[in-house]
Amino acid sequence: MKKLTSYSLTVAAIALVTIGVRDVHSATLVVPPDPSTLNAKALVSAACSKCHGVNGVSISPLFPILAAQLPGYIEAELKLFRIRGRSDPRARAFMWGISRGLTDEQIKGVAQYFSSQPPVKGSGSSNPALADKGKLMYENGAPERDIEACTVCHGHSGEGVNTQPRLAGQHRDYVVTEMWQYRSGLRENKVMQHVTEKMTDDEIAAVVDYVSTL
Amino acid sequence: MSAVRFSRLGAVATLILGGSALMLVAQPASAIPPFARQTGLACEACHTVPPELTAFGRRFKLSGYTLTTRPPLVNDIDDHKRNTMWLTDLPGVAILAQIGYDHYNRAPPDAGQPYPAQGQSDSFQFPDQFSLVYAGAVSDRVGAWLQLTYNQVAGGVGIDNIDIRYSDHTSDNKWVWGVTANNFPTFQDVWNGFGSYTIPNFNTVTLWSGGVAGAGTTGPIINALGPGNVAGIGAYVFYDDSLYFELSAYHSAVSGTGGTPVVDSTNLGVNGGAVDRFAPYARIAYERDWGYHSAEIGVSAMYINWIPSVGYISAQQQLAATAAATAGTPYTPAQTFNSGVINRYTDLSVDWQYQYNGQHNIYGFLGHVAHERQQNSPQLVAATFTGASSPIYTNPTDTLTQFLATAEYFRDRRYGGLISFTRTTGTYDPLANGGNGSPANQYEVYELDYLPWLNFRFILQYNAYQVVANNQSPFNLNHATFPNSPGFPNIKASNNNTWVFGLWMDF
Repeated sequence: MKKLTSYSLTVAAIALVTIGVRDVHSATLVVPPDPSTLNAKALVSAACSKCHGVNGVSISPLFPILAAQLPGYIEAELKLFRIRGRSDPRARAFMWGISRGLTDEQIKGVAQYFSSQPPVKGSGSSNPALADKGKLMYENGAPERDIEACTVCHGHSGEGVNTQPRLAGQHRDYVVTEMWQYRSGLRENKVMQHVTEKMTDDEIAAVVDYVSTL
Repeated sequence: MSAVRFSRLGAVATLILGGSALMLVAQPASAIPPFARQTGLACEACHTVPPELTAFGRRFKLSGYTLTTRPPLVNDIDDHKRNTMWLTDLPGVAILAQIGYDHYNRAPPDAGQPYPAQGQSDSFQFPDQFSLVYAGAVSDRVGAWLQLTYNQVAGGVGIDNIDIRYSDHTSDNKWVWGVTANNFPTFQDVWNGFGSYTIPNFNTVTLWSGGVAGAGTTGPIINALGPGNVAGIGAYVFYDDSLYFELSAYHSAVSGTGGTPVVDSTNLGVNGGAVDRFAPYARIAYERDWGYHSAEIGVSAMYINWIPSVGYISAQQQLAATAAATAGTPYTPAQTFNSGVINRYTDLSVDWQYQYNGQHNIYGFLGHVAHERQQNSPQLVAATFTGASSPIYTNPTDTLTQFLATAEYFRDRRYGGLISFTRTTGTYDPLANGGNGSPANQYEVYELDYLPWLNFRFILQYNAYQVVANNQSPFNLNHATFPNSPGFPNIKASNNNTWVFGLWMDF
C-alpha cells in the first residue's frame, strides 16, 4: 500500500511538472495577438504613441513628453502605475489601465525606447525677470525655509538624476499641474510634497517659468 | 499578462453585414463602458463629454475598437503560428438608457378633434431609448459596435447602429487604414460636426406643428438613411494623424417589414423610399492638433438614387400584381425598381470642429453647412406615371441648405452646457412641402448638463423655434391631420418650444 502510494505520488508529480513545463512553453510562443509578447516598439505604436507620440513628444500638455526621459524614472513610474501606487487623477484615468498587464521586461523596453528618443527644447520664457527669479530658486532653493534646490534631484540643466525625472523640454503646463498636484497631495511623493508645500504661488510660477527655458 | 494588442500588416477582412429589421429614429448613444473595461481607460481618454470624441477617441475608433489591455481568454493558433481565434475573457456588453420628459409650450392638437389634446402638453418617455450594445474587439484586428434598441416612439425593438471594422496600421502609425461595414452613413465618422453624432446629441423633441415626427424639422436625406434602411461598406485611410480619406457605398437594406425581404411597396412605405443600387459616399477631413487644441475641417459627399414611396410605386405594384393574377402567374416584386421613377440627391457638406480639451475647461465650436440638390423624377413632376392622380413635386430640381453651429462648454466634465443654432432654407416646392412650399426652419437648442458621473448625465434642454415651415399661413402643414383646426387659430413657431429633461446613463 505504502509502495503504491509513493508510486502514485511520483506519477502525479511527473504529470504536474509536465503540465507546468507545457504552460511555460505555451506562454512563450510569439503570437501577435498575445499582448504579453509584444516588444517595446510595438507597444509604443499600438498604445503609448496615442498620447505621448511615436517619438515621445506629446502634443497635448495633458500628457508628459517622454523623449529623452530617464529610463529609471519611466520604469519606476510604470511600475507604480501597475500596482496603482500613484493615484493622481490622470494616473487613474489613463495609466492604471494601460499598465495593468505590462511585464517587467516590457516596462524596461518601453523605458529604453523613450529614453533613447531625441530630446526637445523647452518652449522658453516670455518673462526674463520671472525666469531669473525661478533660476535662483531652482539652483539654490531656500535653505532658511528648508526648501532644497531643484538641482539636487533634477540636475543643473533639468536633465534628471537616476529615478528623478528630466524636466528639460517638458510641457510648461504639465509641470505646473504636477507641482500643484504634489502640493495638494493628489500626486504622492513625500519629497515633492514637502518642497511644494513650502513654496509660495509666486515661487512655483517662477520655477516653472525657468524650467520652460531648459 | 497583457498590455496592448498590436496590429500587424495583414489581409483585408471581408465583412458581411447581416440582418436588419426595424428603422428606428434613434439617437446614437455613447460613453461605452465596454470600451473602458477593455482598455482600462477612463471615459475622458476617448471623450470630452460623451459622445463627443477626443483626439485619442478618434484614433481608438479608427483603429477598429481593438485597443485592449485585457488578456485573451482564448488565443488559438495553427501550425504556422497564425492566429485562428482570439476571444476576450469579458464580452463587451452594455446597457444604454435614455429617459426623457418633454413639455411643450402649447399642447399639440388632437388628431381627431378640433381642440388640443387634453392633458397632453407633456410626454414622458420612460425609457425614451433602451439599448443593448456589444462594443469592442472581436479579434486582434476586428472590432464591432452592435446595438439593439427599444425605442418608445417607434414602438418596438430593432437593430440600431452597427459598425464592424477591420483596421491596421504601420508600425510608425503614419498610416492607419481600415474597412468599415455599417448601417448608417456617417455613423463611422469620428468628428462631431455632421452626421449621426452631431452635437447636440440628446433630443427627444417631436415637432408637432410641422407634422414631422422625431427629427423635428426638414434636413438632408442623409439623416434618413439610418439603421434598417441601408447597409454599406467602405474603406478609409488616416495619414499622419491628420488627413482622413474614406470611400463607401451603401445599398438599400430595407427588409423584414411587410413579411418580405425585398424592397416592395410595403417596405418602401415604412421608410419613405429606398436607395436604388449603390449610393457612393466620400469623405475627406483634415485635423490638426496643437497643445490642448484640436481643429478639424472636412467635406463629405453622397450621391443617392432614391426610389420614393409616393404614388407610383404602390400603383405600379398593384398593376403588376393584378396583371400577374389575371395571367395566373405568381408575382414576385423585383429587388430593385428600375422604373425610371427615381429622385437623384447630391449632398455636399462642409463640417468643422474646434475642440479645447484642457486640464479643467473643455469647450468647442462645431457645425456644418450641408447643401442638397434634389433632382425630382420628371414623371413625378409631370404626373405622367401610371396610376397618377396628381404630380408630387412642383419643381424639377429642389435644393436644401442646412446650417448648424454649436458652442459648448464643460467644467471638469461635471457641469456644462451648449447653445446650438440650426437654420434650413430651400427652394419653394408647394407640392412637396405643402403651404407655400418653403421648407425653411430655424431653431435653437439651449442645454445645461450635470454629470455626477461620466456615465450618468442629467440634461435640461430648451428648444426654441423661430421658424417652422417658413411661418406661412396657414401655418399647419400637416393638413390631413390637423385641417386648419379651429382650436388652433394662432399657431406659430414658438408653440413648438419645448422643455426637455433627460437622463442618459450607460453601464
